[in-house]
Amino acid sequence: MSQEHRDCFVVAGKLALPYQYFAGSTGSKFITTLRDKKQILGVRCDKCNKVFVPPRKNCEVCLSPTGDNWVELKDTGTVVNWTVIRYAEPHQPVAPPYILALIKLDGADTPFAHIVTGIAASQMKEGQRVKARFAKKTTNTIMDIECFRPLPPKFQVGYTYDELEIGMSASFTKTITETDVYLFAGISGDFNPMHLNEEFAKLTPFGTRIAHGALPQSLIASVLGMKLPGLGTVALEINTRFLGPTYFGDTVTASAEVVEKLEKKRWVRLNLSWTNQKDQLIGTGTALVIPPAPVQTD
Amino acid sequence: MSKHKKNRNVGVVGVGMSVFSSHREEVNQPEMIFEAVAEALKNAGITMDDVDCVVHGNMELFEMVHQPDLWHTLGTGSRGKEVLRVTTGGTTGATLVCAADALVASGLHDIVLAIGFEKLQEGHTTGGITNMADPLWARQLQTGALTGMTAADMIEEFGEERAKKVSMRYRILMDENCMKNRKAHRRLGLTMDQADDLAVNSPALVGELRMIHMCSQSDGACAMIFASEEKAKQLCKRPAWIKDHITVHREEMFCIFGDAPYKTTMRYAAEKLFERNGVKNPVEEFDVFEMYDPSSWWATDWLREFLLLEGDQHLKMVENDEIAINGKLPINPSGGVIGSNPIGATAMVRVAEAAMQIMGTAGEHQVPHEVNKALASGFGGTMWTVLFILTSEVPQ
Repeated sequence: MSQEHRDCFVVAGKLALPYQYFAGSTGSKFITTLRDKKQILGVRCDKCNKVFVPPRKNCEVCLSPTGDNWVELKDTGTVVNWTVIRYAEPHQPVAPPYILALIKLDGADTPFAHIVTGIAASQMKEGQRVKARFAKKTTNTIMDIECFRPLPPKFQVGYTYDELEIGMSASFTKTITETDVYLFAGISGDFNPMHLNEEFAKLTPFGTRIAHGALPQSLIASVLGMKLPGLGTVALEINTRFLGPTYFGDTVTASAEVVEKLEKKRWVRLNLSWTNQKDQLIGTGTALVIPPAPVQTD
Repeated sequence: MSKHKKNRNVGVVGVGMSVFSSHREEVNQPEMIFEAVAEALKNAGITMDDVDCVVHGNMELFEMVHQPDLWHTLGTGSRGKEVLRVTTGGTTGATLVCAADALVASGLHDIVLAIGFEKLQEGHTTGGITNMADPLWARQLQTGALTGMTAADMIEEFGEERAKKVSMRYRILMDENCMKNRKAHRRLGLTMDQADDLAVNSPALVGELRMIHMCSQSDGACAMIFASEEKAKQLCKRPAWIKDHITVHREEMFCIFGDAPYKTTMRYAAEKLFERNGVKNPVEEFDVFEMYDPSSWWATDWLREFLLLEGDQHLKMVENDEIAINGKLPINPSGGVIGSNPIGATAMVRVAEAAMQIMGTAGEHQVPHEVNKALASGFGGTMWTVLFILTSEVPQ
């Protein structure tokens, strides 16, 4: 340190800046309704046909009075922009990291800023549907909405064409019992004694009762329809080659693997296989499916 | 020396003000501003579509809001307009007028809306003022906006009894004016027979500066519409022309290095402005003076400075009611800063009130004689003075 720096004095200062802000009658009604009715209000400009939230006393475009033209808004909305706060400062409302988002409420034309919790930053995206969570204790501020939470979809639709990749696989495993076989006979009308009558079955090449071939085969339906691609899939074609019997008590695994994406039609081909508990291959096949389209699910 | 010649004349064609009050809980900042803007537009007979540029200003830090020009757009109507923001402390309102005048005079814009506002109840005035002081030498000692120095000086010069009487007389005259101004903040209904009681019983602040002498902390907004000569003549039967103005300031409140006599910024401004406008006898030539009077001590002292008076002439003007609304040179028929002080707007209100007197739109506080030539002043820390001459006659 040079001599001229050594004896230089730095004045440490701190100014307290307390303040208040008059919300006005329009802003106050927004807050009190939030507090007392857990309801978010906006105002409509009839001339510009726009719903503003937070509310304002006059339209920002045409200056017409809007303060008395109240509109009840839903507590759900869509994230139109967002960022992640990663640094810590005493003034921040929650500990970082947290997501600050611009949320356009359903029924409003303007977004407003709030915190989104309950979703990892890595999973956050524009268009994320969110729902207000109201604070248990009022502060008479915008924090009477504690935060917005991701809106869980009613249905978890399967992989879309664009999300599916060659090599993706899924399976379903189930033990086949006498009950399954008897019910399947009733469902299909196939009361063939080779499935139901042990004495008759002794005369067949298998020497005992076996399940209907279509019973283990049908297990692939749960794979295609509920796992890969999943909900929303339409099956176009299922081919099966039966390679071995399924005995009562066998545990069968039905598997599917994406092998081809048909770009033109946006269909997907999967290879199918069925194995038992001894890892014996009891069937192979292929399926052609239409994967689910991306949909708004809430 | 510059020629100081305007490119073209500028007239005030509309004035709007919110109600001034200690508390305006029912409106937020842009909503309060909108009251003034809507009234100014109405009085000028125009809409926002006619306005080319908005000049917006406030006393920085006093409402704890950063860049108010941006988030006040709802109230200023400046969406899509050219906007200029001015923050020159207490003089902001006056500087807003200077800026708007220059924008129109230059030919850059034909119609300019200028807006000054303040919500003193929301911010922290002393916090803001302390911030101005030198961090090493003065900030630790700062007391805020109040000073008892002028009272001490006047008492020393004129004796305690006379000085106190004059400052209280000025105060009560201002309250009488406030009672005629429906928008004024403090309308106390004081009468002259209360003077002796107030001089003793009003809470002491600093030295002989008492609560009753001091200006208020007000919420309020003021808007003015400035137009080029051509437009002003189209829009207004009798515009108030901005003849000339001058801004003078010095760094320190008083001479910290001793008692050397110095020329006040008020006297300096008046001398310069009067000289270049051929004003020989201001008391005779002006019909009204809207003066930024932060306290009744400063006000009485500054009368001498602004009007270039000597000795006790200024005291006599007060004692003889020459400054009353029906007097020879009415001072602050609006009630002045002592009555209403929304700081960022206050200095503009002086010019706006002077303009209203010329336009003849001051209503109940219109002075009874015809007003053709008006003086208006702005003031701010540290010792900023802005002085305006307004005329009914188109300046040559």
